[in-house]
Amino acid sequence: MKVKVGIMSFAHLHADSYAHCLKANPNAELVGIADHDPARAQAKAQQFETQAFDSYESLLASDVQAVIICSENVHHARLAQMAAAAGKHILCEKPLMTKLDDGKAMLAAAQGASVHLFTAFPCRFSPAFQQMKRTVESGAIGELLALRGTNRGSNPGGWFNDPELAGGGAMIDHTVHVADLMRLLTGQEIAEVYAETGNNMFHGAFDDTAMLTMTLQNGIFATLDSSWSRPKTFPTWGDVTLAAIGTRGIIEMDMFAQHLIHYDDRAGRIKQVFWGDNIDYLMVDEFVRIVAGAERQILATGEDGYKAAAVAIAGYESVRRGEPVGTTSI
Amino acid sequence: MTRVGVIGLGTMGRQHMDAYRQMLDVEVAAVYDHHPDRAQAFAQEYGVRVAGRLSELLDQCEVVDICTPTYRHAEYALPAIEAGKAVVCEKPLARTLEDCERIVEAVKKHNTPFMPAHVLRFFPEYRTAHQLVKSGAVGVVAAVRMRRGGDFPRTKSDWYADFNKSGGVILDLIIHDLDWLLWTLGTVERVYAKALTFRNLEHLDYTLVTLKFKNGAVGHIEGTWCDPGGFKVNFEICGDSGMLEYDSTRQVALQMATRAEDGAGGGVQVPESPAVQNPYYLELRHFIECVQTGQTPEITVEDGYNAVRLALAAIESAQTGRVVAL
Repeated sequence: MKVKVGIMSFAHLHADSYAHCLKANPNAELVGIADHDPARAQAKAQQFETQAFDSYESLLASDVQAVIICSENVHHARLAQMAAAAGKHILCEKPLMTKLDDGKAMLAAAQGASVHLFTAFPCRFSPAFQQMKRTVESGAIGELLALRGTNRGSNPGGWFNDPELAGGGAMIDHTVHVADLMRLLTGQEIAEVYAETGNNMFHGAFDDTAMLTMTLQNGIFATLDSSWSRPKTFPTWGDVTLAAIGTRGIIEMDMFAQHLIHYDDRAGRIKQVFWGDNIDYLMVDEFVRIVAGAERQILATGEDGYKAAAVAIAGYESVRRGEPVGTTSI
Repeated sequence: MTRVGVIGLGTMGRQHMDAYRQMLDVEVAAVYDHHPDRAQAFAQEYGVRVAGRLSELLDQCEVVDICTPTYRHAEYALPAIEAGKAVVCEKPLARTLEDCERIVEAVKKHNTPFMPAHVLRFFPEYRTAHQLVKSGAVGVVAAVRMRRGGDFPRTKSDWYADFNKSGGVILDLIIHDLDWLLWTLGTVERVYAKALTFRNLEHLDYTLVTLKFKNGAVGHIEGTWCDPGGFKVNFEICGDSGMLEYDSTRQVALQMATRAEDGAGGGVQVPESPAVQNPYYLELRHFIECVQTGQTPEITVEDGYNAVRLALAAIESAQTGRVVAL
């Protein structure tokens, strides 16, 4: 029996990747697509050889067991609550929410309806990260003292540059992945956040440069660069790096270092061609397995998504106040 | 012939001595170290005269080069300036802002040539990057990341481990990057920093510093004395029309790996960046020529002061947990 999955909105570009992952998964069936843009629903349904539903309601009224939500950030809460009310399990694109109240409502809705709510944090599935985590846990670098992370990217443009739809700019887009990895690596919550932002890359009404400093519950400190600072000629979309500094040594991860360099005369540019494991596939596969009845192993919960998004939200509050802010005081 | 006196004969004193020996128009007339044994050994090795006292050294030279640990800079710089000598002083200018102010005042009052030895400005990779940024190669700068460090520096006296003497990883190490950033991007508005400096961990220090520049750019510096993987630096300057990056582990001109004699491994890898002249030579040559021609050195005493002020602001932020405005 294949697990029946639908996709709610293709506003976020990751929806394409998840659709490919579902098509490639022997245990899953992409039952259909709904989108508030009907033309996009039609086009994507054709591309992925599935059905276009004319509304979110009609998709949720079908026999899908689970949905992946890839709308604009600000709509996650509404769509997740609709899906929960219809009894569907949910994998929601990150950031889980743009406001704390939205996140709380999503968690409550899923709990109330006894459906799973997960957050799309594929970086957790990276074999390099998993090995880093085992290494740190083994005590090989001694006691953990500090962390340094980056998740730089290119400006995705479109609604990502509209804080009304995205909940912010680069900081809300790119903080959550590595904040989640830091929580997972240390088992500690992020207690305090200080952030500096800027807009010198694109000079728009949104942050394109963001640097967060975080203090974890046990005093470990960390910084995270979540800027859209990759130039147009950069050979790939961006990076995810994480370094852990311990009393006996350090370990540094570059999640997408497993690539070839392609000097492409036809395209007139240099490109990185990644050959490591497909972490989106690994994440979607665990989601499918859980819907089929398996135990959760790595997949990020709704709570994990909430905690990570709260870091970015605290970051914006820090920028407003011009000082570090506690994540529980916002 | 320009006569130079070198004070402080440790690692940096040697480095500077090697540079002066290549200059036909410079004579190292005297050297001084407050450890007489070290001074004697140094003098014997290089064939130079040892001054028994500071005043004796000042009598024999026009240029004084101060290579002592940070906390002793003012102690030697002030009498040298007051004696009308041209002074080149290792970075950081001094351990405290009060000492820096005294040096700035003395330089102004006696109108003597003075240069804080921020040698990074003479490293060709950093100099080229500075020139490219200034020429608009990346457009408006938005984000800068810099990284510097390796394992904890060890010396006989272990003065680096004494925060009151060295100022730890922020004042001693990343002052290089702070000076480069001030030189290249201009005024810093505020700083926020975290550091291990005050955790009293033996021979471990580490910092992550965030800077906000007046032009809107955001800077990040990692300084480490926690990395057993050897000394490494890198930087990345992102602007609205491009990016520059450098990584000392990737841009390596010469790399040697040798096997231990018995073939049992334990080999050593040594990356090198060979150049006709090293940055220490270029830096000191610039100062000597300024002394000889009356030109103003390109690194001013105020630059030295501003770098220390920024480093101390970062230390204050790390110590108090607060944002420090400049």
